[in-house]
Amino acid sequence: MSFALRDKVMLVIAVLLAAVYLFPLYWMYVTAIKTGSAMFASPPSFWPADPQWSIYRSVWESRNVGRYLWNSVVIASGAVLMIAILGTGCAYVLARYRNAWVDAGLFLILMLQVLPASLMITPIFVGFSQIGLLDYPRTAVILAIAAKSMPFFVVLVRATFMSVPIELEEAALVDGNSRFGAFFHIVLPLARNGILVSAILIFMQAFGEFVYSKSMIQAIEYQPASVGLNSFMGPNTNEWNNIMAYAAMYVTPILAIFVLLQRRIVSGLTSGALK
Amino acid sequence: MTVHQIELTGINKYYGAYHALRDIDLKIRKGAFVALVGPSGCGKSTLLRSLAGLETISSGDLVIAGAKMNGVPPRKRDLAMVFQSYALYPHMTVEQNLTYSLRIRGIDKAEAKRKAEEVAATTGLSHLLGRYPRELSGGQRQRVAMSRAIIRNPKAFLFDEPLSNLDAALRVHMRKEIRALHDRLKATSVYVTHDQIEAMTMADHVVVMRQGIIEQQGAPLDLYDRPVNKFVAGFIGSPAMNFVPASSGSDGKSLLLEFDEPQTIPFMKPVKAGQPLLVGIRPEHFELAGDADAMLRLPVGAVETTGASSYITTATQPELVIVLNNRAAIRSGEVIGLCFDPSHLHLFDQQTEIRLG
Repeated sequence: MSFALRDKVMLVIAVLLAAVYLFPLYWMYVTAIKTGSAMFASPPSFWPADPQWSIYRSVWESRNVGRYLWNSVVIASGAVLMIAILGTGCAYVLARYRNAWVDAGLFLILMLQVLPASLMITPIFVGFSQIGLLDYPRTAVILAIAAKSMPFFVVLVRATFMSVPIELEEAALVDGNSRFGAFFHIVLPLARNGILVSAILIFMQAFGEFVYSKSMIQAIEYQPASVGLNSFMGPNTNEWNNIMAYAAMYVTPILAIFVLLQRRIVSGLTSGALK
Repeated sequence: MTVHQIELTGINKYYGAYHALRDIDLKIRKGAFVALVGPSGCGKSTLLRSLAGLETISSGDLVIAGAKMNGVPPRKRDLAMVFQSYALYPHMTVEQNLTYSLRIRGIDKAEAKRKAEEVAATTGLSHLLGRYPRELSGGQRQRVAMSRAIIRNPKAFLFDEPLSNLDAALRVHMRKEIRALHDRLKATSVYVTHDQIEAMTMADHVVVMRQGIIEQQGAPLDLYDRPVNKFVAGFIGSPAMNFVPASSGSDGKSLLLEFDEPQTIPFMKPVKAGQPLLVGIRPEHFELAGDADAMLRLPVGAVETTGASSYITTATQPELVIVLNNRAAIRSGEVIGLCFDPSHLHLFDQQTEIRLG
């Protein structure tokens, strides 16, 4: 088999797999603009004969999607900010010191990541309600998400810091800088890409977070988009086109961010970006 | 004021139970070029890093330019260091790398730029100031690392194996360049290397270390001519000195060299009869001799020739390595006669390995 032919076969396989993988996304966009009868037609049509573009406007207004998305942004940004500030320092220390305590700390951090949100929510709920945090439901969710996602961030960013050679810091010390100065002038700029990528991944995770928000936010005006989507669901749900339109509005911004930054994200995840 | 720029007294360093530096005493004259040399793990880098303040010493006194520096952070020691990996800041251009230490000290931008251009001119970097380290060759990076050190007139330069990442030809070239730079700036320099040739050729004062202690220090040729023990004798000089166990003859005027077939050579200096000895002789101190003058007659094992000189390994136990600076027509298996100046023999005690006489 020649190389050119093999490459073509590989390409066809790759395209097929991508099509299978992306089909649900396609189905979401297509279903959103179908009419009620087209939605339940059998066999289904892959392209609606009569696209209903006005559905976006009506769902946006009737469901108050703007408020839900805003809440999602507030919660995700808050969580990312908190994780970035606390987690960066933590990751740096774990990257630079090697002893039994650090190893134990790392083990505990990895352990935290194993615990699922649906398990943690009960103790967190009880604890937060006792100290009155549930009166500030979005803050409570931000704290819970930060706690949940911090290990992921710390582990990723620690690897980034470890790829920054310690000699660079030592050179900065001998050149006349303090440890803080060396960190902010030398280490942080070199780890910037890794930190940014980790923060974006955390943001996307937090943007779609459901369990904590659903459990802790009772007031509808503070609920994020994931909970809003869930409120469509009932025993006799059949307004699939509305649900899909909502979902499209919810995921499109995230998809856009990912597409715009994907080169950076991939290179930040795979390389030390140095040397 | 003291003439010593750096004074170390009774320096000890422990890593947990590991004793990395043991009672180091070292005085470095202002303007001297001192090489710390030894096998890996001997503590030479630890000593240099302790000078820089990157390691804290466990005990002892560390004085730089008359001021006690124990526990003073690196930035207040006013030293410059060239790292083995160069440690250039990857996100800064050459010019920013050079001026980093100046900018931290609050020197204004125009002045820093002028100094960078001045230094770059002397190190041949003028056309590279706008580049990033990743766009430079190994030799150019090395030069940037050097320039970054000299830009601010520090109290002393510290070099941590700066040439070990370069290829052989460039290394020989940079060796001369660093020495020339030192002669021009007259700045105190401490140079760590595992390569004794670098130490011998560059330094005024060589410090040989092993397992955290200073085995011997002195002028390079003193170390070559009068090593205090077997370790220093074997470490300084290339190829390494030959060692043969021996005992003094009953008449006190000869040595019995204990090869697999023992040989007797005349020896004038008085040695206690019967004392077990190690005789050391450098490969380059042998000469071929005819039957009449030969002091030793040894079978030849391998012959390697580089064009300029021939390396002969004898087929004896222990082996001897002999360097002849001509193309001797010698073949493996032949028996050759050798002579040498008896004053070139080094005698060591077989047990303690310490120099005798």
